[in-house]
Amino acid sequence: MSSVVARSLSKSYGSVAAVNGIDLDVKKGHIFGFLGPNGAGKSTTMKLLTTLIPPTSGTIEILGINAIKHPLEVRKRIGVVIQQPSYEPSLSVEKSLEKYGMMWNIDKKTRKDKADELIAVFDLQEIRKRKNEDLSIGQRRRVQVAREFMHEMDLLFLDEPTVGLDPSARRGLLDFLKNKAKTGLAIFYTTHVLTEAEYLCDDIAVINKGKILAVDTPDQLKSTFGQEKTIKIHLLYKHDKLAGLLSGVADCSIDFNTGTDIIIQSGKSELVLSKILQILIENNITIEDLSAMPTTLEEIFLKMVKDTNAPNN
Amino acid sequence: MHPTIRLVNRNLTISLNPGFLVWQVIFPIVYIFVAGFAYTSLIKSVPFGNENLDYPAFIASGMIGFNIMNSTLVSGIIIWNDRRHGMFEQILVGPFTRTNYILSNVYTIAIVGLISAALITLIGYPLFFESVEFNLFTIPFMVFASITGSILFGSIASIISTRLKSSEGFNVIINTVFLFFAFVSTAFYPAQGAPEPLATAFYLNPLTYLVDIIRAGIFGTFTEFVMLEMLVLVGLAAALFVVAIKLLTKLDL
Repeated sequence: MSSVVARSLSKSYGSVAAVNGIDLDVKKGHIFGFLGPNGAGKSTTMKLLTTLIPPTSGTIEILGINAIKHPLEVRKRIGVVIQQPSYEPSLSVEKSLEKYGMMWNIDKKTRKDKADELIAVFDLQEIRKRKNEDLSIGQRRRVQVAREFMHEMDLLFLDEPTVGLDPSARRGLLDFLKNKAKTGLAIFYTTHVLTEAEYLCDDIAVINKGKILAVDTPDQLKSTFGQEKTIKIHLLYKHDKLAGLLSGVADCSIDFNTGTDIIIQSGKSELVLSKILQILIENNITIEDLSAMPTTLEEIFLKMVKDTNAPNN
Repeated sequence: MHPTIRLVNRNLTISLNPGFLVWQVIFPIVYIFVAGFAYTSLIKSVPFGNENLDYPAFIASGMIGFNIMNSTLVSGIIIWNDRRHGMFEQILVGPFTRTNYILSNVYTIAIVGLISAALITLIGYPLFFESVEFNLFTIPFMVFASITGSILFGSIASIISTRLKSSEGFNVIINTVFLFFAFVSTAFYPAQGAPEPLATAFYLNPLTYLVDIIRAGIFGTFTEFVMLEMLVLVGLAAALFVVAIKLLTKLDL
């Protein structure tokens, strides 16, 4: 069963299409990564799906409910961690969790227990009595994410939740989310940190200029779009004639960088590498180090965004 | 619990901090007991309706309206803080509607305004108890005026908070507007005897109407003019409330 189904979803501001006819499917218990550069349409899509703004056209079904006709019914069953910090400056961490539970109509005993549990899980023990206005950005973000788990939900929207978190807090949060997804919670996750998406997400959509460029599992995206590999060769000495020697190698782009470092990019990396090695050996050029970099999601992402930003697009 | 009530609970929790309460009590006490008695040597008595009030009684009754106005600043501060600290958007992605949010602010204003009025009535009572003429008609009338005044000033604070984003702008505008309301009114001095332009300016100020009505309620001096003031207050409150609601409804996310 799908937790989110959006079809031909568009949102325009005047003549500018912030979101342009996108389709989305988020399955129950899946973590759906939503990637895109700044201004790509991520936040507008989040606002559409969380019913904050109405679409210009298209349909949205959240947890089987028509989100355009029944936004409140949707909001009762979802959790949202917005991109902007949101907090009550004058309340302590403990009190803000407790009050947030009250706002969600959680009974007093349950919210006390839940707050204690989340304080432990999100490592907030030391700051539980401290006011939100006195917290660091990262601490405030942790409280904001923790607070959302005060209430039960079937679908969680997280808009760049790890901004400001240190590496250990970040990993802790990602593991916590993975475990939550195993219990059936669907998560819609936007981020700029591609390693996070690769680690966390079951499915990934890449958006740019309001359009979805690709949707698939991280592995499938790599295999579909990641044919091109990067080969780095470090030479012992600089060779002035090297550019001339390698100019005849086809199907690749070569960056001679400092003269001792050569960076080769090619979709036919094995063939290209064997040709280059042959030329280097024939000319007695000593190789000190050689590495072939596996394709990362980041490279795929950058390439996709670069391609769509090209003038003819 | 109804969503609006839950938001009122939250509004009161974040607003009624010790600093606010001290400000709400200490500030009027200083006016009532320091200014009130200090000016007694200059102002022997103040005519009000058929009564001649001593100045401490006059200012103590004026402070009720003044405090209602001050307390309703809470509404503007809540909205402005919610926008600044992301809680406006957070609330609207939760199990609430904009109507819940707006109504919760109205109820918060009314509650804070009434508590404030009751508090100053209690504090000021020893000063005006000799002239007091509460009865079954005046008390509900005063409560109604207090709620109407709360909604009026709360709407003004809300309108300002929806139009301004910078903290400097918000503070400067709200303090200037409320300073004008406070001192160009009959809260501190009577309109009778004031220079003509100033006396006219007093009646361009809704606080004057609120204070006059509350005084009339306390001292039992209802006249046709006070009834007219009540109508103006209700009309103005209704108009500003509609504007505030429209602006809040359209507030960008």
